[in-house]
Amino acid sequence: MHAVFIAVAIAEVAVIALLMVRLALGPSVSDRIVALNTISTQCALAVLFFAVFSDRTIYLDVALWLASFSYLGAIVWARYLERGLL
Amino acid sequence: MKELIVIALCCVGLFFTVSGAVGIIRMPDVYLRIQCSSKTVTMGALPVLVALVVAEGPVSTYGSRALLVAALLLIVNPAASHAIARAAYKSGVPMWRGAVRDEPRQP
Repeated sequence: MHAVFIAVAIAEVAVIALLMVRLALGPSVSDRIVALNTISTQCALAVLFFAVFSDRTIYLDVALWLASFSYLGAIVWARYLERGLL
Repeated sequence: MKELIVIALCCVGLFFTVSGAVGIIRMPDVYLRIQCSSKTVTMGALPVLVALVVAEGPVSTYGSRALLVAALLLIVNPAASHAIARAAYKSGVPMWRGAVRDEPRQP
């Protein structure tokens, strides 16, 4: 069962490498925000599965933090694009 | 039996995650990319988390955190996608030339 978990974590990291292409290329700021939002979700999943694989509960807090606060970056960038600074 | 369910759910989730990433790279327009990004979370992340819950049990340390992460993603991700799409439209990101409707602009 542990092999499945580490395989999922490695696959999520590979998907992050795919999304980095859009993060580097993206013609507008919005494209980069979309890629970054997806990357943070995949990061949370990868950390969660690595926590289960290595059996360390301390990594669970990292995954939970990433999943709950990653959207703040997207919200702040969206607000900045819509109304400008402040 | 349990392992088979876990592996099947992981395969479904990873398939949708990879296809969503390919969509984010290949779609011609920021709005279509946002759609692919939400697919990556809804159909890609949730089956993988459900697989973790099935493997560990819903009241174990890891299973309960997986359920919490799933609930958070379900609440937070549509809000973030909506905010990004709205900001992109208001800041004047052009639509793909094949787009047929522009509903917010119509009177």
